[in-house]
Amino acid sequence: MVTTASAWLLPALPFLAFLLTATLGRWLPGQGAGIAIVLTGAGAVLWAPLLGALFVEGPQLYQPVWFTVGGDALHVSYIVDPLAALVLGVVLICSTHIQVYALGYMGGEARFGWFFAVVALFTAAMLGLVLSASLLTLYVCWEVVGLCSYLLIGFWFDRPAAVEAAKKAFITTRVGDVGLLIGILLLFRATGTLDIPAIVTAVQQGAIDGGTLTAAAILVLLGAFGKSGQFPLHVWLPDAMEGPTPVSALIHAATMVTAGVYLVARLFPIFEAAPVALAVVAAVGLISAAGASLLALVQTDIKRILAYSTISQLGLMFAALGTGFLPAAIFHLTTHAAFKALLFLAAGSVIHGTTRQKLDELGGLRRSLPVTAFTMLAGAAALAGVPLTSGYFSKDEILLGLLDRSTLLFVATLAVSALTAFYTFRLWVRAFLGPDQMHGHAHESPAVMLGPLVAFTVPSLLLGFLLFIPFGPSANIIAFLAGETGHPPAQYAEIGSYYHAHHEATPNGLVLGTSAAAALAGAGAAWAVYRSGARIRRRLPGAAVLERGFFIDALYRWLTTQVVMRLSAFFAWFDRRWVNDAGVNGAGRLPAVVGGALRTLQTGNLSTYALAIVAGMALIAGIILWSGR
Amino acid sequence: MIPLEAVAGLSAVLFAIGLYGVLARRNAVLILLAVEVMLNAVALNFLGFGAFRGDLTGQVVAIFVICVAAAEVGLALGILLRLHRNRQTVDIDRLDELKW
Amino acid sequence: MNIPLLSLMTLTPLVGALVLLVLPRDRHGLIRAVALAAAGISAAAAVAVFLVYDTVRAGFQLAERLPWLPQIGIDYALAVDGSSVVMLLLTGIVIVTGVLISWRVDYRPKDFFALLLLLVAGVYGVFCSTDLFFFFFWYEVAVLPMYLLIAVWGSTNKEYGALKLTLMLVAGSILIWIGLLMLYVASGINSFDLFRLQHITFDPLTQSIAFLLFMIGFGVLAGMWPLHTWSPDGHVAAPTAVSMLHAGVLMKLGAFGILRIAMTLLPEGARIWLPVLLVLATVNVIYGALSAMSQRDLKYVIGYSSVSHMGYVLMGLASLSLIGTTGAVLQMFSHGIMTALFFAMVGVIYDQAHTRDIAAFRGLICTMPAVSVLFILAGLASLGLPGLSGFVAEFLVFSGLAQAQAWLFVVLAVVGVAITATYVLRLIARVFFGPPEAAWRALRDGTPLDVAAGASLAFVLVAVGLYPAPLIGPIVGSVLPIVRRLGGVE
Repeated sequence: MVTTASAWLLPALPFLAFLLTATLGRWLPGQGAGIAIVLTGAGAVLWAPLLGALFVEGPQLYQPVWFTVGGDALHVSYIVDPLAALVLGVVLICSTHIQVYALGYMGGEARFGWFFAVVALFTAAMLGLVLSASLLTLYVCWEVVGLCSYLLIGFWFDRPAAVEAAKKAFITTRVGDVGLLIGILLLFRATGTLDIPAIVTAVQQGAIDGGTLTAAAILVLLGAFGKSGQFPLHVWLPDAMEGPTPVSALIHAATMVTAGVYLVARLFPIFEAAPVALAVVAAVGLISAAGASLLALVQTDIKRILAYSTISQLGLMFAALGTGFLPAAIFHLTTHAAFKALLFLAAGSVIHGTTRQKLDELGGLRRSLPVTAFTMLAGAAALAGVPLTSGYFSKDEILLGLLDRSTLLFVATLAVSALTAFYTFRLWVRAFLGPDQMHGHAHESPAVMLGPLVAFTVPSLLLGFLLFIPFGPSANIIAFLAGETGHPPAQYAEIGSYYHAHHEATPNGLVLGTSAAAALAGAGAAWAVYRSGARIRRRLPGAAVLERGFFIDALYRWLTTQVVMRLSAFFAWFDRRWVNDAGVNGAGRLPAVVGGALRTLQTGNLSTYALAIVAGMALIAGIILWSGR
Repeated sequence: MIPLEAVAGLSAVLFAIGLYGVLARRNAVLILLAVEVMLNAVALNFLGFGAFRGDLTGQVVAIFVICVAAAEVGLALGILLRLHRNRQTVDIDRLDELKW
Repeated sequence: MNIPLLSLMTLTPLVGALVLLVLPRDRHGLIRAVALAAAGISAAAAVAVFLVYDTVRAGFQLAERLPWLPQIGIDYALAVDGSSVVMLLLTGIVIVTGVLISWRVDYRPKDFFALLLLLVAGVYGVFCSTDLFFFFFWYEVAVLPMYLLIAVWGSTNKEYGALKLTLMLVAGSILIWIGLLMLYVASGINSFDLFRLQHITFDPLTQSIAFLLFMIGFGVLAGMWPLHTWSPDGHVAAPTAVSMLHAGVLMKLGAFGILRIAMTLLPEGARIWLPVLLVLATVNVIYGALSAMSQRDLKYVIGYSSVSHMGYVLMGLASLSLIGTTGAVLQMFSHGIMTALFFAMVGVIYDQAHTRDIAAFRGLICTMPAVSVLFILAGLASLGLPGLSGFVAEFLVFSGLAQAQAWLFVVLAVVGVAITATYVLRLIARVFFGPPEAAWRALRDGTPLDVAAGASLAFVLVAVGLYPAPLIGPIVGSVLPIVRRLGGVE
């Protein structure tokens, strides 16, 4: 019988898979990849009854002790509520399918088993993060997620670019984590606990003063922005494309970038109490959404286009959170996971079939890669927000919230939608339509890779209809995420959690119409411009700025090489030159200098010594005589 | 009876002569001689004060000084001989190896 | 049961050293076996002490006492509290792995192992002496063999490194000795006994002067800025096992001395000087990490990272809070294991490649997978990755500082972790990843002994990282009275 208490099994299974595959893998058939897939899959299978248990029991909190310092026990507490439950499912289902896909994609790699071991650990850490009801365990999992992304992005560690990208990802997110850790400590100091429900209760009772709360919330945000690739810490995400494609799919759909969104959602009551921080969330989200969709226009690497689209879509989720509509953000997270995983796996299939990934070198693949072409079209339609796809409905939920707050934001987001549709279809049209650039050398991927592609097509197209059907005891998925699960509020109060403000879930005609128009306009424009396959010669003004990513990378490079490294070189030099050579060796030389001065008294001349003795005697005698009277 | 002042004065004069010799001479043998003069000045002083106070300790110390002086001369001349054999000189201005 | 565990632990290495002296000098196998046996017995005793120690009862336990010079109040007195227990465990682990890693020392192994054992006897002695005279005695025993070990068996500028290290540490111990005598005289009870001195309240001036003397004296050994420069040079010059013991255990003696003597006996002085220590420790963290980033020699990187990490220990001590001080002691343990692992693996690499120049290496993971993985694990521990012991310790230190409302220092400390991540990852990327260099194709992975030694250190890193409670319990019990007396945050 599965109850919510057994939720710990979900991260435990992939973790067990990691241990087994990492240690015994080399002696197992398929280097232990099977274990990883079976155990992760078992988690996915367990998830369904867990969701059922949640419907029956309502949200639950469990608090086993990790260790105690003085009177303070540190818990490894975990929480099962609608938010956690939905994201758990997303992670498990994506991870299982992506691992199956990787069987084909990574086939023949040395360290095949190691890949699956780390993916399993990655999944386990993300699941742990999602379940965490303590900031401590959450931070622990958060960092392990970062480590796994480092290991996976740098999986091909004999390629300098991959090593560089892995390092960049880890260090950039680490910069954000500095903020997160300090924010956690601020909350800890203010409330004396690390348990999220207790902190939330304290915040809701007004136990923390506004300034501290805002500071803590903004510091936590730094961590979230780093992990979710939001401006200004987004620079690692496009470079992370150096990793194997299944890893990109995993990072973008389920296990890494969503962590930031999830963190803000998990701590949402804190943000609600700190309006300034909430405004920062919205602003950064919209800046990232707009900026990244502009940058995606000029990319030629198919994976980098998708990477920028992730930044942009996550920006929309943050915008939804920032305007107070958590359910819309998490719903979009769910649909995004489906179609982004699909897009990356399809891109991987293209790379697998052609060994190329530059748009300039691709074209006309629809004949040689028919399944890939069709499934990727479904993904692209969802990403672009073509009507009736999952992305269309979930984005409309976000738009609905923005319209509530400000017409300007709504219009800006519509523009982002149009841009999104344009670059998405630019990618698809240039890759699959037009003259065949490969001259028949491209081949379709094996079934083990196409299976997951097809599987992801279904939710990419249909998930949006969850808006219109009951979800467990709730009216629809938005109501479910808002906490309306039919359990009395008392039960929520006990775990210090959540009723989320939400607007009417059914989108109105204005939103539906304008959103559909924007998506179709963008997609149509892309089709009109690129369908012929002709190269666009004329460069638009400003393209140079976009190709250089608004110079943000250059700025960081300048900061690291010119500022940090110089500072470091200065310290190293200072330590040698002044502290060591001048200070320590100088102190060591002091006796030598003093001795050098004193030794000139030693003339070696007996008469001088004798004279000195006499003089000394006379002096002493004189003193005695003088004082004797 | 010779007054104590006379003995002390003679002793002082002898000591001063010896001191002058130690400071002014360059020949090690002559310095040694001057040291002997100083030692004897001291011994004379002991004898004079001993007689003045009717105390035998003065004479005992004087004999002790003579013994020490004899031993010292023996040792010092030995060193000087070795020195002369090695360096062909006993001029102390040229024997200044023990400086920095 | 009446085995004098503490004496057994402290004196076994000494006996081992004496036995080594009478062995014929060309029986290398026998010499190594005796050294390993002595190290093993003492480590087993240390583990036994750890297991026997009653955390619930806390306080000092397993006391042994023999009058030595009763006329002036010197006893041979041993006892352990929670912090010492943890430090003894660390010493036991590091000495055994150190002897294993030194297996291929074949230049005068007899003298090498004898000195190593003498040194470790001193370390044990410091951690469990409760008589301040013997505390100092063992302290000197631990410091002095270092000179010969580095000057004879070292590398890279070894005479300079050895001389500087010895002179600076001895200068520090002079200050400590002055401080001890000052307390001995000022107390007026004619005793060096820690327990009796504990009940004396010294006048504020004495406290302030003595605390400063201890802070500087022990601070030298703890690598406190700006008295840290012996540490990188010394570690670079030292042979592998000595680097391991030195950075792993000896530097902890300094921090331990500040906790055990200065903070315990001089609460008033502590309140005056701990803020200064906090500032210096923060400089340690940032300055050490930034300096490490620009180093070209693997061992220098680790040497400076030790300076940086010892900064966290001192920050924790200076935080005046229960959690921070607990974190400091745990960080001593964690850094000890981690840095021993670092030096052990660098030693394996250096023995084959005969260089430690970072720029010379590339793609080592292809030729030396086990050594590389272990080194990377140590690197991850040093950048505070959760699941490894460094994270727990540093998190406690940060929390302690947060409790003490020292926000500026919290920020700087956390920034220090980010800088650490940068230099560690740069180092790993340069040395272990990338296409393997043809010149290093001939390198072979560590011997089974090397890997066993490294793996056991790595195991401790992971175990403590996942479940630190067995260490934290005793530590809390021992620092609680000190923090309480200082009026710190509980």
